[in-house]
Amino acid sequence: MKFDDVQPGVWPELIYPAYKSTVKRGPLQPALRIDASVPVSRNIDPAPRILLPHDMDLTRRGQAAPLGEKIVVTGRVVDEDGKPVRNSLIEVWQANSAGRYWHQRDNHDAPLDPNFFGFGKMMTDDDGRYRFVSIKPGPYPWKNHDKAWRPAHIHFSLFGNVYAQRLVTQMYFPNDPLFAYDPIFNSIPDEAARQRLVSRFSLDHTVGDEMLGYEFDIVLRGRGATPFGL
Amino acid sequence: MSNITTSQTIGPFSHEGWQWAVDFCAAGRLETSAPTIVLHGVLYDGDGNPIDDAQIEAWLPEAAGVEASLEIPGFRRTPTGKAGEFSLRLSVPPRPVGEPVAYVTVFARGLTKHQFTAVFLEDDATLAESAILAQVPAARRDTLVARKDGDGTYRWDIWMQTDKETVFFDYV
Repeated sequence: MKFDDVQPGVWPELIYPAYKSTVKRGPLQPALRIDASVPVSRNIDPAPRILLPHDMDLTRRGQAAPLGEKIVVTGRVVDEDGKPVRNSLIEVWQANSAGRYWHQRDNHDAPLDPNFFGFGKMMTDDDGRYRFVSIKPGPYPWKNHDKAWRPAHIHFSLFGNVYAQRLVTQMYFPNDPLFAYDPIFNSIPDEAARQRLVSRFSLDHTVGDEMLGYEFDIVLRGRGATPFGL
Repeated sequence: MSNITTSQTIGPFSHEGWQWAVDFCAAGRLETSAPTIVLHGVLYDGDGNPIDDAQIEAWLPEAAGVEASLEIPGFRRTPTGKAGEFSLRLSVPPRPVGEPVAYVTVFARGLTKHQFTAVFLEDDATLAESAILAQVPAARRDTLVARKDGDGTYRWDIWMQTDKETVFFDYV
């Protein structure tokens, strides 16, 4: 595949002082654009047995139903030509409905839910589509500054079809009042790029009286993939 | 007009969700028909402080065939430890001239976009013929070369900043 330069403002700033920990952790030198055939043509190939029961239903990993608003999240993963990114590994992780992660370093004074751990994984199908069931995560404080609260979000980790497509991002929910105050969201200079991280409510994907649907499509870098089977 | 999905940091809470792959590639489970080495080092920030909540992934494309019994052949993932340290056992099958021993990806809290890099071994006789290293300014090539520090062990530190800053790539 070919990887065009990303337009200025689309990637987040690597040094964004309002997000304090970027100051000493973001590289100061620009990434060196190089021509290397392996990263743009090959990838990991996980065995199907990595997928376990309930990896795609985060509400079914405890003894009982978790607390909170049950949701289904789905979308298509495509490349810059709009071609589906098929049979590709996605990981997700998130806080529970109270805004607490199942993680030893999370000391937010909100309850853990013994029936919700907040992580899953899945493969995209032939249309590049993924789908998982979860609980709508809560916002949580993170001490970056006074009254620093993260907008509710789900973390996504994508492996794409070639190594250079690797991406980690966060999916947000529509109309979150915290967007304007969140340095992580606002480290992305381009308004349209920020808005592409906001999922859409979908009545089509809503499941009866069980759960509301949210749609989050993902475009990975890269174009000119060799058609499958060639 | 590019409409790609942009990046966000992994934040501090990746560990539980990422652990499954760490377990699958643990050194104790490694079954390989190739010789192995241990690649170890420390991830440092711009003040020289260790980064203790990062994730490091290594991809060894040529190792997929010799580790075929693993869940993700040729793939490694490890969180950095309390002192920013990481250690990975890598298969080292024959590989094309000038290819790195591993392609490496770095993720961390405070890193708004993951960083691609690659690591070469100092005693690789084909370093001078590497088409990748040839594209790196000579003064910075050393940041991609692991130094032998024991029998089958190599030391490679990753620096996010300073005059030792590791070369990070964007692939064309």
